[in-house]
Amino acid sequence: MVNPVLLIIIPLGLALLIPLFGFISVKILKYIPFLALFSNLIISLKLLPEVYREVIHVSIGGFIPPFGINLVAGPLGIMFTTLIALVGFLVSVYATGYIKEGSEEKYHILYLLLLTGATGVVLTGDIFNLFVFYEILCISSYSLVAYFGDKAGIESAVKYLIQGALGSSFILIGIGFLYGLFGTLNMADIAANISSAGTLPVFIPLVFLITGFGVEAAIFPLNSWLPDAHSSAPSSISAILSGLAIEIGLYAIVRIVFTVYDASGMFSFFLLLGVITLVIGELCAFSQENIKRMLAFSSIGQIGLITFAIFIGSAEGITGGLFQLVGHSFGKALLFLTAGYMIYETGSTNISSFEGMGKKLPYTSLAFTVGAFSLIGLPPFMGFPGKFLIVKAALTEQDIIINMLIAIILIASIIEAAYFFKVVQVIYFKGESGSMSRKRKTAPLSVLIPVFIFAGLIIFTGIYPKLLAEVLEQPALELLHRVDYIKSVIP
Amino acid sequence: MNIINDYIYYFGAFSLIFIGLYIVLVKKNLIKVIIGLSILDTGINLFLITVGYKKGGTAPIFSEPGLQASEMVDPVPQAMVLTAIVIGVAVLALALSLSVRLYKHYGTLNLRKIKELKW
Amino acid sequence: MRKLTAVILLMIIAAGTAYVLAEIPFGSTQTKIGDYFNKNGVEETGAVNIVTSVVVNYRGLDTLGEITVLLTAAIGLGMVLDSSGKRKDVVKREPASLIVYTGCRFLFPVIMLTGFYIFIHGHLTPGGGFQGGAIAASGFLLMYLGCSGKRINTRVSTVTEVLGGIIFIGIGLAGLILGHDFLFNFLPKGEPNTLFSSGIIPLIYVAVGFKVGSELAGIIDNLMETGE
Repeated sequence: MVNPVLLIIIPLGLALLIPLFGFISVKILKYIPFLALFSNLIISLKLLPEVYREVIHVSIGGFIPPFGINLVAGPLGIMFTTLIALVGFLVSVYATGYIKEGSEEKYHILYLLLLTGATGVVLTGDIFNLFVFYEILCISSYSLVAYFGDKAGIESAVKYLIQGALGSSFILIGIGFLYGLFGTLNMADIAANISSAGTLPVFIPLVFLITGFGVEAAIFPLNSWLPDAHSSAPSSISAILSGLAIEIGLYAIVRIVFTVYDASGMFSFFLLLGVITLVIGELCAFSQENIKRMLAFSSIGQIGLITFAIFIGSAEGITGGLFQLVGHSFGKALLFLTAGYMIYETGSTNISSFEGMGKKLPYTSLAFTVGAFSLIGLPPFMGFPGKFLIVKAALTEQDIIINMLIAIILIASIIEAAYFFKVVQVIYFKGESGSMSRKRKTAPLSVLIPVFIFAGLIIFTGIYPKLLAEVLEQPALELLHRVDYIKSVIP
Repeated sequence: MNIINDYIYYFGAFSLIFIGLYIVLVKKNLIKVIIGLSILDTGINLFLITVGYKKGGTAPIFSEPGLQASEMVDPVPQAMVLTAIVIGVAVLALALSLSVRLYKHYGTLNLRKIKELKW
Repeated sequence: MRKLTAVILLMIIAAGTAYVLAEIPFGSTQTKIGDYFNKNGVEETGAVNIVTSVVVNYRGLDTLGEITVLLTAAIGLGMVLDSSGKRKDVVKREPASLIVYTGCRFLFPVIMLTGFYIFIHGHLTPGGGFQGGAIAASGFLLMYLGCSGKRINTRVSTVTEVLGGIIFIGIGLAGLILGHDFLFNFLPKGEPNTLFSSGIIPLIYVAVGFKVGSELAGIIDNLMETGE
């Protein structure tokens, strides 16, 4: 049995060693994240069947919780680490060809540290440790947004940093309140004692924590940093931010609301907030000319949909939400990677400059189309079973308000389809003007391999969704059965 | 009066927090906003340590034999604050370096004028 | 308008916090784990400074995360300030007077010694790796300010930084390889209140002290080099 601590330590150790490797040879640096994430992927896949039978608890330092820190490698945690390792691994393959200028060594160190922080967030069982790993994630993303050093990048990084730092301060105030009220920092211990204090003084730290984590999770109204940050970052980083970082923020909120607090009264509030986020995201995406800004707004919309699905509160709803989350990670990463290469070829981020890409870069354009159709929710692709599960779970609730919200969601999906079809149309059908020579060109292998693997996963899961749905059932049940979680940590 | 006596420390810590929040929300100059973040961090650290106080307690160091464990303050908030101070310093350093580059690009630190990216 | 909304928002938050603080009486909070650490800290870890044993041993993963945060910020700062491409000439600063110059060279080893003392004795007296490392880095700042023209060797500082981090992780992994848990205190705990006690704690703190000192010196170096 492999110790889950290695999932955090191996990327961290290799990230620390990168400067030493840099002294030997600069060429091998871009393969180190590849190695670290590949090993994470192997370990996660090996642990997956084991944790589905029984949750693995790791105590750091040999001290039992709540006196020491513990890691809880359960179904939800290991599912997230597998997702992080897979997406991170594929994007690092893309980055071997994409990152050529600037300080490469620092890019790779920060990239590995970002993913280490994300892995730490999903595995830990202690709320202050969650905060520390979350800060690793946030600070690396602030720096990576400013990687190119141009005007837009620095401005977006500054705005992102100020809002993120405010959010982190709110989280710390919330943790301070929780420690003062309960005297312990272990999430299961707090959860066990949560009913002892009165209701309103316990509810207020929850508000602080949700506001703080909501900045990273891009919930309305805390997401004004997202369009700038995701569009000014390098495309590989946009893929990671949209595909992983905001989902990790949402994981933190979900973990606190479901496991620590059991605040089922708040679910309707989150349902409403999710739909508002979705509508605003899709409406703003519709009017964009810049492809990366459009994709960033689409991420806001999708995270709103995932929030709605998870807070329906039933096992099917959470399974649908997690399915859509995985679909969004794959699809949005695919879209950003292909768009990044197309921007590199045309030199501009305007959608209208992608005219005729269908002829010039046939494989890349095909992959972009697969990603776009998956996000809209068309049948042979992964987005369709995701949205179907969510609608089905919502309709089972037989609630009039949820039905109205479903109607709004479907209208938003139509808007989403409209702007994605617009882009696909520009790629394939316009551009007979032939101002530039449209010779066929094949993208380099470092672009094609991750792009095809993502597209393949999307198509495979679209045709055979039962496999992923069964895998996601256990994490959904872990969220709902909080008493089991508490008892397994503190018997 | 007893209430004021007991809660004066919380009041002090939270005054710092609110001053910091006000500066971040209202001021136009980027350096002032960063200073506001620093004041906010200081206030939060002060609040965390105040939570761990025990009446009549002393520092949790057994430097000479005969000190009782029941007379010591809580060590856990102090460990939390150690970590929080370092994290605050890290964010501050990064913010300052970004503002150096921002000034080179724009020539001004007025946040109302640095609004090139729009809807 | 903006000021008004900010003030109203702050008043709502203030009302909320007042409500919670009414439940946290000052001076007698419910410290379950705090009392446990105070009672059993010396026996279980061997360090007389309970805060150190909490930081390094009981909650060692937090400390590992903390040095990672500092590393991330240092690397990010280096990346942001460095990518201007060309290295501009450093602004000719007026050289300091003879008294300042000599005074700085005299004070520098004293400051470094103080810093080293603090982090080596982290388990006996208040202080530790972070505090001692920061003091040592302030010695470097003094050199930059007082004796213009002297710079640290960036290669040496990078190697020290990396070694500090690797030693920390290595000690943790050694605990894992020897059959216990990660960051298990596997060295003999010795006699409390002496220098060679409490197992791995002084080793970790020395590594952290060197790492933090060289990291902060690197940050100062980066900030000083971006002249106008």
